[in-house]
Amino acid sequence: MELLIPVIKISVVLGVLLGVVAYTVLVERRVAAAIQNRVGPNRVGWNGLLQPLADVIKLVMKEDIVPKQANRFIHDLAPMISMAIALITFAVIPFGDSITLFGQAIKLQIASVNIGILYILAMTSLGVYGITLSGWSSNSKYSLLGGLRSSAQMLSYELAMGLSVIGVVMIAGSLELDKIVQTQHGWMWNILLQPVGFVTFVVASFAETNRHPFDLPEAEPELVGGYHTEYSGLKFGLFFLAEYTNMVTSSAVITTLFLGGWQIPYIGLAGLPAFWVSILQVLAFCVKVYLLVLFFIIIRWTIPRFRYDQLMNLGWKVMLPLSVLNLLVTGLVILYL
Amino acid sequence: MDLLTPHLLSIGPLLTLVAVALLVLLLESIITKSEPVSFWTSVAGLLVSIGIAVPGIAVHGSAFGGMLRTGGSANYFSIIFFICALLTIVFSRDYLKKRDSVFGEFYLLILFATVGMVLMAAAADLIIVFLGIELMSICLYVLAGFIRGSVLSNESSLKYFLLGAFATGFLLYGIALLYGSTGSTSITFLTEHFETYASSRLFLAGIGLLIVGLAFKIGAVPFHMWVPDVYQGAPTPVSGFMATGAKAAAFSIIIGLFAQRFVHGVQIGTLLAILAAASMILGNVVAIAQTNVKRMLAYSSIAHAGYMLTGLAAGNAYGRDGILFYLLAYAFMNLGAFGLISFMEQEGEKHLTFDDYAGLGTTKPFLAVLMSVFMFSLAGIPPFAGFFGKYYIFVGAVQADMTWLAIVGVLMSVVSVFYYLRLVMVMYFQDTLIGQTASYSASSAAFVVLAALILLGLGVFPSSLLAIITTLY
Amino acid sequence: MLEQYIPIGFMFIVAIIFGIVMSKLSEWLGPKNPNDVKLSTYESGMEPVLSARERVSVKYYMVAMLFILFDIEVVFLYPWAVNFRSLGLFGFVEMLVFTVVLMLGYIYLLKKGALKWQ
Repeated sequence: MELLIPVIKISVVLGVLLGVVAYTVLVERRVAAAIQNRVGPNRVGWNGLLQPLADVIKLVMKEDIVPKQANRFIHDLAPMISMAIALITFAVIPFGDSITLFGQAIKLQIASVNIGILYILAMTSLGVYGITLSGWSSNSKYSLLGGLRSSAQMLSYELAMGLSVIGVVMIAGSLELDKIVQTQHGWMWNILLQPVGFVTFVVASFAETNRHPFDLPEAEPELVGGYHTEYSGLKFGLFFLAEYTNMVTSSAVITTLFLGGWQIPYIGLAGLPAFWVSILQVLAFCVKVYLLVLFFIIIRWTIPRFRYDQLMNLGWKVMLPLSVLNLLVTGLVILYL
Repeated sequence: MDLLTPHLLSIGPLLTLVAVALLVLLLESIITKSEPVSFWTSVAGLLVSIGIAVPGIAVHGSAFGGMLRTGGSANYFSIIFFICALLTIVFSRDYLKKRDSVFGEFYLLILFATVGMVLMAAAADLIIVFLGIELMSICLYVLAGFIRGSVLSNESSLKYFLLGAFATGFLLYGIALLYGSTGSTSITFLTEHFETYASSRLFLAGIGLLIVGLAFKIGAVPFHMWVPDVYQGAPTPVSGFMATGAKAAAFSIIIGLFAQRFVHGVQIGTLLAILAAASMILGNVVAIAQTNVKRMLAYSSIAHAGYMLTGLAAGNAYGRDGILFYLLAYAFMNLGAFGLISFMEQEGEKHLTFDDYAGLGTTKPFLAVLMSVFMFSLAGIPPFAGFFGKYYIFVGAVQADMTWLAIVGVLMSVVSVFYYLRLVMVMYFQDTLIGQTASYSASSAAFVVLAALILLGLGVFPSSLLAIITTLY
Repeated sequence: MLEQYIPIGFMFIVAIIFGIVMSKLSEWLGPKNPNDVKLSTYESGMEPVLSARERVSVKYYMVAMLFILFDIEVVFLYPWAVNFRSLGLFGFVEMLVFTVVLMLGYIYLLKKGALKWQ
């Protein structure tokens, strides 16, 4: 019984996560189509709802090509790392308060560790290995450049990311994610207390997930496919899935840190039974996360890509000083207000 | 806040120097033609630091929870380092122009290396020792290779870096073993509980590794192999800085660790005596065969490490005070000699052999007289300060029943007279070479004269300095 | 204390198995008819020129080195941030000194063009 609850939680979370990721691909294609005044995929199933399944089947049935020049072992390893890292980051995110089911209080979080934020930063920085290794192991110039660019980019933005979280930690006085969510009750969402931190964190998240306008590593006009030029079949699919998983996870992290997590302001005043409050909170979390995912998607189809020097300049010369400054201002405000 | 203020005040010289170094860093990045500004800021900063450090000598204390010793010997050593840095900076200004490597970062690196040395002298904990050594060494690695276009300079930097990193590994491993056997890295704790742990092999192994690491830094035989090549290739004032400042810094730790209780009861005294004898013999004998003046001074610096280790092996107050006296005198005489060599040196490591000094006594009597003063002092001929340093050290050795070591030391001093005076002889009794040039500015000439005068002063009135030294520990 | 990490361990295993299965699936189920051209490195349809195992621009090394410097600062800041309220003004000033020193280095490297991409 002790072990059963986490197993159930993991299966539910992974199931939902992968389902959401699969359909996010579809959503992205439909949104892109809408923005570009097209129709988008609508033939497989009702309104194209079975499209993700068809995509996966298509990818599975493709030939798995590993170039002769490539380092076979690392070439196989890289997509696996990318995918696995993207999935396990979700383990510490609280998607709800505790809920009472069958007379047992269950915490709606897979693992409530006391260093939650460090865990998330550690895992997101591990993600760079998948991309760098894939770029190097393919032994192709496009892949190598993509891998190099992405590692430099992720390193640069990780600093801004780490620094902008510190403001949140100072306010909450804890690295534990559920504590951080609990401090954001009422209107005290961190987006209002830490607006600069929020902006830098979101921008850094875009860069960390290699999403537009920071998708230099796979800039298709310059680098063909970037680090996954030499991948085919489901291994290519894994990179694709990992990117979307990272997007969802990043949205969840942003929600937790800045948008009050599962909090619904003043829901206690409504006088609902505790069970339904918990359900509503989980729903609120999902809605917040998905709105952010939509934001990610809309940005991709409306904003042009950065040039590489612009990207590095933004990271080192704007984001880094800005987040340090934000830190000092936060400190002063906490001390004197 | 008020709890911290006395701590901060007691490390005033260190903080001043750090502030100056950071200021130079900032100036270096903001101002385009920054070299003169950096130079004068560094000189002013060092003078102010000396001014702050001098009154602190009379005080004895510790700061930051027993991590740092303040006042007393820490300040005395700090003053030695500041003087070394000051002389180096002044001499290197002309030298860098000559070698076409004028960068303000040079002064910055010297300042940071000095910060590391001050930390070493003030350390009351092995972790601080390590911090100081690393800060000093990393700056010195870069300084040794500062003439980027020169193959010799690059070789010097690389050799120093590889061997230095290796030695630091020994040192760190020694610290780890000491911590493993005693549960403490505090130097005070270690010196007080030495007898308790003296039977533990882990502890002795830790001490041994520590000695290896530090013996490398002072260039004692058998850890001297890097010295000649590094000193020859490095920019000449930097060689002087390494021979005086870095050596004094390493000695400040060795004295703190071994000068009191450590030596007695165990064979460490004998171990140090063997190191001392080997250094004196090898350094002096090999120096005879050198034709390059910088290499000759490199071997002589190995020999001087031997003299100073003699005082340490003696393990009594005489020996210790002798080292302290000698380190200050050595700073003036060695840096003065390296300064004069840097005046004489020409583009492309030219004019560095003994023959290039032929007839200097008639063509450039000013330089020749000064050079002779430094050579006499290095050889230990009265009335210069070098004599009294050696005298106190050897008296210490005799009192500690190490007469054999004192005899070796005196014999080797006689050997050293041969090669030091050979330079003097070449300058005065050989025919002049054509094309002898020397380039130096008035300020560096003034500092060389000052160094020579101080040597003379310390030699004539040694007791005034010695009175201060006896109150240090 | 450590049992909090058991679920993470579970999830780790599940994620790795998922990764392995997915990355091998097309190898198991897909067609296999390789030929020399198909297995050669992609270079816009041309014959590949030289290997990609070249020396890379020194700029990337600079970024890596600077990252380590600043990341260590960030690591120092975390425990400080957690205890910020109890440390009070003293803690703030201490960290201010640390940050200012680090930022001096930052200004230096910025002015010396360590982060210039041309």
